[in-house]
Amino acid sequence: MAAGEFEGGKPLNGLLNALAQDTFHGHPGITEELLRSQLYPEVPPEEFRPFLAKMRGILKSIASADMDFNQLEAFLTAQTKKQGGITSDQAAVISKFWKSHKTKIRESLMNQSRWNSGLRGLSWRVDGKSQSRHSAQIHTPVAIIELELGKYGQVYHAHSLPALHLLMLVFLLASDLSHHFKPH
Amino acid sequence: MEASSEPPLDAKSEVTNQLVDFQWKLGMAVSSDTCRSLKYPYVAVMLKVADHSGQVKTKCFEMTIPQFQNFYRQFKEIAAVIETV
Repeated sequence: MAAGEFEGGKPLNGLLNALAQDTFHGHPGITEELLRSQLYPEVPPEEFRPFLAKMRGILKSIASADMDFNQLEAFLTAQTKKQGGITSDQAAVISKFWKSHKTKIRESLMNQSRWNSGLRGLSWRVDGKSQSRHSAQIHTPVAIIELELGKYGQVYHAHSLPALHLLMLVFLLASDLSHHFKPH
Repeated sequence: MEASSEPPLDAKSEVTNQLVDFQWKLGMAVSSDTCRSLKYPYVAVMLKVADHSGQVKTKCFEMTIPQFQNFYRQFKEIAAVIETV
């Protein structure tokens, strides 16, 4: 089936969306058969497979190089001229898709490359003077900070680790902070 | 509680962790196996916290620049509030 027999327009846009969800945003359950039956039901599986691979490859190349609009135009034009490449209709759909989804895809790529936990939430409270049962001393105001740490992408997997809760960091703030942070 | 070099433990330290060290670095991720052209600046933080028994744990995390700016803004707010208490 020639490239031109695959519709551009809405089905291709839907396909690119699904590919982005699968490749970059970590959305589970997006299978080749699901895409074919939903978007290109009249296309037999053995013809759909190379088409899907081609679109995925194009999207990954564009994202990996973080193409600007000049690079994108040059790249897509070259793809239309190739043997077994894409049509100019398809190129137009891909171009429009990248322009509107570039930021979000880039953000997902950054998250994928972050292997430490990220900061998912921060809340705080300031307490006035306080005293404990075991000490006669009255303590100065403190800030109590709750940091919610977690790894991106794990929310999608059933066996993921829950976000780390750093409960109640006591952060002693006085007019001179430095002496609290000296190693001892 | 003996030496004055020990960080002052507050009433809260019975139930909360105390911050004993805070280190940071500003990095730039240039490229990765999933993205050749990454160009992603980030702030990495390493915290050391001690529980009431004195056991120290290390926590590391990263922030994007906008996240860090929000983090910094929150701490400035905390500092302003604590001055008034």
